[in-house]
Amino acid sequence: MSDYTPAATGSGARARVQRFGAFLAGMVMPNLGAFIAFGLVTALFIPTGWINTIAGTTENPLPITVQIGQLVGPLISILLPLLIGYTGGKMVYETRGAVVGAVATLGGMLSPVALQLVGIQLNADEPAAAPENIAGIAPNFLAAFILGPLTALLLKLWDRAIAGKVKGGFEMLVDNFSAGIIGGAMAVLGLYVVGWATFWVAQGLGAATNALVEAKLLPLVSIIVEPAKILFLNNALNHGVFTPLGAEQAAGEAGKSILFMLESNPGPGLGILTAMLLFGPRAIRPTVPAAMVVHFLGGIHEIYFPYVLMKPILVIAAIAGGATGVLWEVIWGLGLRAPASPGSVIAWILVSPPDNVLLNLVGIVLAAAVAALVGSALLKFGRGESAADEAMNLEAAQQKSAQNKAQSKNQPAADAAS
Amino acid sequence: MATIDGSNVKKLIVACDAGMGSSVMLASTLKKQLAKSGVTVEHSPVAHIPADADVVVTQASLAERARGVVPDVPVVPFQLFMGDPSVTKVVKAILNGETVEV
Repeated sequence: MSDYTPAATGSGARARVQRFGAFLAGMVMPNLGAFIAFGLVTALFIPTGWINTIAGTTENPLPITVQIGQLVGPLISILLPLLIGYTGGKMVYETRGAVVGAVATLGGMLSPVALQLVGIQLNADEPAAAPENIAGIAPNFLAAFILGPLTALLLKLWDRAIAGKVKGGFEMLVDNFSAGIIGGAMAVLGLYVVGWATFWVAQGLGAATNALVEAKLLPLVSIIVEPAKILFLNNALNHGVFTPLGAEQAAGEAGKSILFMLESNPGPGLGILTAMLLFGPRAIRPTVPAAMVVHFLGGIHEIYFPYVLMKPILVIAAIAGGATGVLWEVIWGLGLRAPASPGSVIAWILVSPPDNVLLNLVGIVLAAAVAALVGSALLKFGRGESAADEAMNLEAAQQKSAQNKAQSKNQPAADAAS
Repeated sequence: MATIDGSNVKKLIVACDAGMGSSVMLASTLKKQLAKSGVTVEHSPVAHIPADADVVVTQASLAERARGVVPDVPVVPFQLFMGDPSVTKVVKAILNGETVEV
């Protein structure tokens, strides 16, 4: 390895994707509490929610649920994109950046109302119409992802350019008006350019997702999702892509989205761990039960990734399990009200619509069963475990994987196999 | 490879991608194990590891990024979130004030 150089800069392809994903996820994840508040209020108080279902008043909802239900639309369409724009600005330039990020994001959010944009018609029975006021807009997270950090960056550059040049006593005047002018100008730009463009991008993505669901092809997504998870791209994918797209769906008529389930299903991981517990290398079997609890109940999926990295072939079991779960969800038209985060079975139950709870749980069980079966077969039901395998303790396994890693440094694509 | 002098460690950071899930779990375990040593154990997203950390513990898949963020701080990569020998080695070194290679 004469050309080996320590990757101290962290410039590998995987690290780059991870970093970009973490940037997007970093805007969403601090706000997951707000997503879940939206999910719980929706699950409890909408006409088809828990309270009206139990009271048998889904046709004629109880007045109190109608009152509290007022929270649902504004929470998801207004508050959540603003929070994401705020957080995106904060990541770039502290609270000052956060404030202008939120201002600019509002401009992007309002495009459909201001410009009277008519979306793609998905259902021929309901003619598409432009929203009349802010209550009718769909959440635009894409605009928040762009405008939040970008506006904060502009303000940061401006502040840097004038640093030390402001006359004493005028600092506050200059600071406040520079933030106001940059934030306001970016809100206008957001309204005419970023909001308009992201509206159509979101329409396109929504239509594409819809087509995948209609054609029952969504399970194929597992071929990307499951290996990406193992490479610690789970948050990037789930909260960078699926959470924003799913929230746009959940804000619509159905009030739920299958996209929240693609990454968060704890079934495949549970299946992998089951296969490892029964047929994995003997030295690591005792570590599995605790990992199962943390994974399945605690929802921390990261805990099963190392087991797959140890036996990379198991990624096939994860894909098979994941695709089975998604197929089941597509067939029955299942969904979750809000992102299940962390991806625990408890979180799934709490954000499931009442009429989907049992079927959703079956989806987890099926995914786990298939992943466990395929995983066990791939581990040759323990028979493939040679004497060498038994002698191999964890430390040796680690050294091996460290070697693999060092070898693959110069060809990041091979990381998947390390 | 880096050398860690256990007696000089004052602040140990557990890093994960988001700094919300797995790192919090491992940090709470290590906090208990290191309670007597007086070492500060904190968790953070790998992109925001504080510069005053004396040692960083993170999953092997994230180690490359951690080294990019804090090039001067020794990074201890591990595989398993529970009962990993590399982590145990560092904890032992801190408790006994020994020097270890990681």
